[in-house]
Parts: sequence; C-alpha cells; structure tokens
Amino acid sequence: MAPHRSQVVAPLLRRESMGDAYHVLTFDVGRDLGAAPGQFLMVRGAEWGDAPLLPRPMSYLSGGPTPSILVKVVGEGTTRMARAEPGEPFSLVGPLGVPWRAPSPGRRPVLVAGGVGVAPLLFLARGLVAAGTRPVAIYGGRTKKDLPLDDDLALISDLHVTTEDGSRGQRGRVTDVLEALLAEDVEVFTCGPDRMMAAVADICARRDVPCEVSVETPMACGYGVCLGCPLPAAGGGYIYACTEGPCIDARRIDWNRPDHPPRAAGRAS
Amino acid sequence: MNRLATRIGALELKNPVLTASGTFGYGLEYDDFFDVATLGGICTKGLSREPRAGNPPERICETPASMLNAIGLANVGVEAFCRDKLPVLRERGVTVVANIFASSTDDFVAIAERLGGEPGVHALELNVSCPNVSHGGIEFGKDPKLAAQVTAAVRRAAKLPLWVKMSPEAGDIVAVAKACEGAGADALTAINTIRGMTIDVDTERQRLANRTGGFSGPALRPIALRIVWDLVGAVSIPVIGIGGISTWRDAVEFLLAGASAVQVGTASFADPCAAKKVLDGIAAHCERQGTSVAELIGRARR
Ligand SMILES: Cc1cc2nc3c(=O)[nH]c(=O)nc-3n(C[C@H](O)[C@H](O)[C@H](O)COP(=O)(O)O)c2cc1C
Ligand code: FES
Repeated sequence: MAPHRSQVVAPLLRRESMGDAYHVLTFDVGRDLGAAPGQFLMVRGAEWGDAPLLPRPMSYLSGGPTPSILVKVVGEGTTRMARAEPGEPFSLVGPLGVPWRAPSPGRRPVLVAGGVGVAPLLFLARGLVAAGTRPVAIYGGRTKKDLPLDDDLALISDLHVTTEDGSRGQRGRVTDVLEALLAEDVEVFTCGPDRMMAAVADICARRDVPCEVSVETPMACGYGVCLGCPLPAAGGGYIYACTEGPCIDARRIDWNRPDHPPRAAGRAS
Repeated sequence: MNRLATRIGALELKNPVLTASGTFGYGLEYDDFFDVATLGGICTKGLSREPRAGNPPERICETPASMLNAIGLANVGVEAFCRDKLPVLRERGVTVVANIFASSTDDFVAIAERLGGEPGVHALELNVSCPNVSHGGIEFGKDPKLAAQVTAAVRRAAKLPLWVKMSPEAGDIVAVAKACEGAGADALTAINTIRGMTIDVDTERQRLANRTGGFSGPALRPIALRIVWDLVGAVSIPVIGIGGISTWRDAVEFLLAGASAVQVGTASFADPCAAKKVLDGIAAHCERQGTSVAELIGRARR
C-alpha cells in the first residue's frame, strides 16, 4: 500500500533551468513524505490565486525531504513554474498514484524514455543502481534539445540515445534500438509521449516481454475524485490514470481504441 | 451555543459548509487531508441506479479561473455506494447528502427508495441539472412541469429531506424553483454548472470529446450569486449556494445573499483542504464580528 498522501506548502529551494523549455524544481519540504519511484505529486503555486486554477501532476524526479520535479514548459502553469524563484511557496499534494512495480528477479531492466518522460525513469534507475543493478536505458527526442538530464542518465545506465534529426546519438526512434535489444530475459519500463509508449508496448507484446508504462493524462485532483483522467482499458471501460496508474502494465491499456486520447478530442459524443 | 449551526428544513447542520457533488468523491478520499466529519456535510458523486462508465476522454480542461468537465456521471452505482462507502461514512459520523441522477422518473424513485432505507443518508439531492449526459438530467431541470413531477415522485418514495439542484440553463429558473417547492422540495441547491466550450487552435477541434462541458470554478461565482439572490427572493424554502466558492469571503457573500448553507466544489481540486479552510474562516469571521451564521443569512437583503 502506498504511504499516506498529504498536502504541504513548501518553499522552492532551487530552480535549475536547461534552456527555456526544461527546468528542475527542488522543494524544501523538511521531511520525507515517502515517495516511491513512479509516483507523482500535484503541484500548484500557493500564491497563484484563481489562475492557473488547477494543480499540475508531476512525476517525482527524486524523493526525500527535498523532492524534485522536471518541468517542461507547455502552458500557463508550467510557465509560472519555469519562472519561480527560490523561496516561492508551492502547494504539494503527494505522494500519489501507483509506483513502478518492483523489478522481477532475473530480468534485466530496460528503461525507455522520451523527453520529459525521463523523470520517473531517472528516479527508478537511481534505485536500481543502489540495489546493485545497472539498467540499460534508451532515451529519445526530436532533437538534442529534447533530452533533458541525459548526462545524469548516462552516469547510471548503459545509455543509447536517439534523435529524429540525428543531432545526437543514433538517428531514428527509441523503438529502432529497442527491437535490437529485446531478449527473453528483459523487462521494459517506459515513459514518454503516448504514441511512443504505444509503439513500445506493441513491440513488447509481440515479443512477449513485460512492459510497464507511466501514463500521463489531464488531471484535476490526482486522487480519484474528479474522474477526469480516464484511459481506455483493455477489454472495455476505463482505467483512471491517477489511482490505477500512473505506472501500470501496458497490456491493461487499449492503445488503439478510437477513444484513446488525444485522438478522441472533438469526435461526436 | 453553536454560532455556526444552520437549519435546512428539518435537518440541522452543525455548520454551513458542505462539499459539492462530483468534487469530493464519496467523501473518504479527503480523509488523509482533514477530518471530513468536521464539515456541515458532504454531497456524494452523482449516484445512478446502475454503475456508469462515463464519457470518453478528454473529460476535463482548464479555462480562465475555471474549468470545463464532461465526466458523464461516471459512478459506482447506488448498490456499491450503500455496500462499500456508506458504512464507513456512517461510522465516521459524516453528514451525507446523496446526490442522485436518473434519466427516468422510475429510476429516480428506485434510487430514492433504496437510499431511503439506509441509515446514514441525511438528505437527497436531486441532480436534474447535469449538462453532460444525453438523456434526462438537465431535461428535467429546465422544465417546471417535469421538475415538479420528478420532485413529487421522489417526495412520495422517500421520507428523507429532499433538495433539488437547479440548472442555470433553465429558461425561467424561478419558475422551476417554485414548481419544485410546490411539489414538496425541502430545499434548493444552486447552481449546477453551465455548458461551455473551448477549441484547440492547433488541432482545430474541441478539447473535450463531449464537445461541451460544465463550466465551474471562481469565474462562475458572480452568476451563481445572482441566481441564489433571485431564488431566495422567490421561494420560502432554504437555498444552498454553490458556484466558485474558494475562500470564506466567497462563502459569506452567499450567506449574506440569503443562502442557508454553501457547497465548495472545484476549489477542492486547487486545494484539498479548501472546504475546511472556508469553514475555519467563517468561524473566525463570526467570532470577530460577534455574530452567528444564522444572523449572517440574508443580511445583505435588509
Ligand atoms: C468534475 C466535476 C464533477 C461534477 N459532478 C457532479 C455530479 O455528479 N452531480 C452534480 O449534481 N454536480 C456535479 N458537479 C457540479 C458541482 O457540484 C457544482 O455544482 C459546480 O461545479 C459549481 O460549483 P464550483 O464552481 O464550486 O465547482 C460537478 C462538477 C465538477 C467540476
Ligand atoms: S485526476 Fe481526478 S480522478 Fe484522476
């Protein structure tokens, strides 16, 4: 069972910016709320007032008394976070959601990251290394600018990098590398854009390799109340990303149903 | 004497702060954040006769100082609620208002009968105002005749205090309110969300799969307050104010307008302790002013 969630208001300890797009925010919580790799928290500036209104779900990049998150600027909330200065108070609600499942003994973990999806995988990799397993990692982005924290990942994994434009590593996609790496005794952990994870899940299913994904959806609450975070479940119905995920066996999700977002947007109801 | 107590017909609430349906789950989800039994009450997620899966995603999106939702009344169904949720709420001493939804009068009656037999349900809130489902819901809440018919049928089916939740989309909301009062409602709750839309300029599609969604949050507050004001002037049963309440000041506005209690909705997403903070703020305000909730109610009308 996950540890108790709570809400704390904690000051920003530091912000490390990697260009305009990616920022690591570290908070001074003062005590360990007990986050496990793969869990997330709902983050909102305590002084934002009425807008942006909703907190933003963010995977833990690290836990402990000074937890951190990796922010990619995509809208208003993340823009505010990218400009936050040390001392600014934030409301943090966590730890939330299902963490990565424990690695299976005898299987070699392969971590597949896309862009900002690297955050929960870095947290996982640090735990694996501490427990004596150095994972294999595949990290892809459109260009070399879309690979935040690649140096950190390189230190603690056997890393393969891909970019679509060839500006770093192998030209192509993570799946090109994954196909070649898959063996009977591996298991895959992946987080990144939905279509990337769908492709990774598909390859793993065809090769009968276990695949754990960390999903991302819009969220208003983060703990099962608003019902705003569904994904199509294999076999019908929905799973809720915040309580049944974010980390979940890829086979439990129907990646190709017509109502799999974001393609469902705007279809007739 | 309890400065915070308020009366909704026969039901005495220890304070005027409840949580709004659909924003507080079945109550216990917030127990990690504060003791939900300290609130005046909680309104459950809308319960239907059978469990419902809800609408396809995307179901929510943020809009300026507000949000849109098209959840489609996903819920566990009235049976699972009575079996899995209610016993714990009862044991914890939580005042439970069961928000119920159906697309036919028969189903409304069946749900009301089921809940009427359960200890621990303190009132029913009829959702005749959900904008996000294709059958029923809002159709009942827009038409005085239909609203009165459902209210009267549920009135006969269950002895519980009966609240009817008003839709701001009714052409003549005062007529609907009076019809519900005439049909035996003990209180009115206002307002439910109003339909809004947003289009993603990059994909050139609505952001929500349902195309429209219920508009809620701080931006809704002035509209909700005006409607509550109108209803209080038109009916003699209590009115409970809902819409964009985030702070104790917002809540007191509704009390001053004549609401007998308030419900905190979307604000609980921004801050899981919002309802508790509203309650503590009202208590401190009454203390400072040497007044009580009962005295605050309707004071702006005099
Ligand atoms: C995500 C969400 C789900 C809701 N579900 C219900 C529901 O099941 N039944 C209902 O009567 N109202 C429902 N509502 C409406 C609220 O109870 C409330 O009337 C409305 O949100 C306005 O209040 P607010 O601005 O404080 O949120 C829902 C609102 C939201 C945001
Ligand atoms: S984010 Fe609210 S239910 Fe999942």
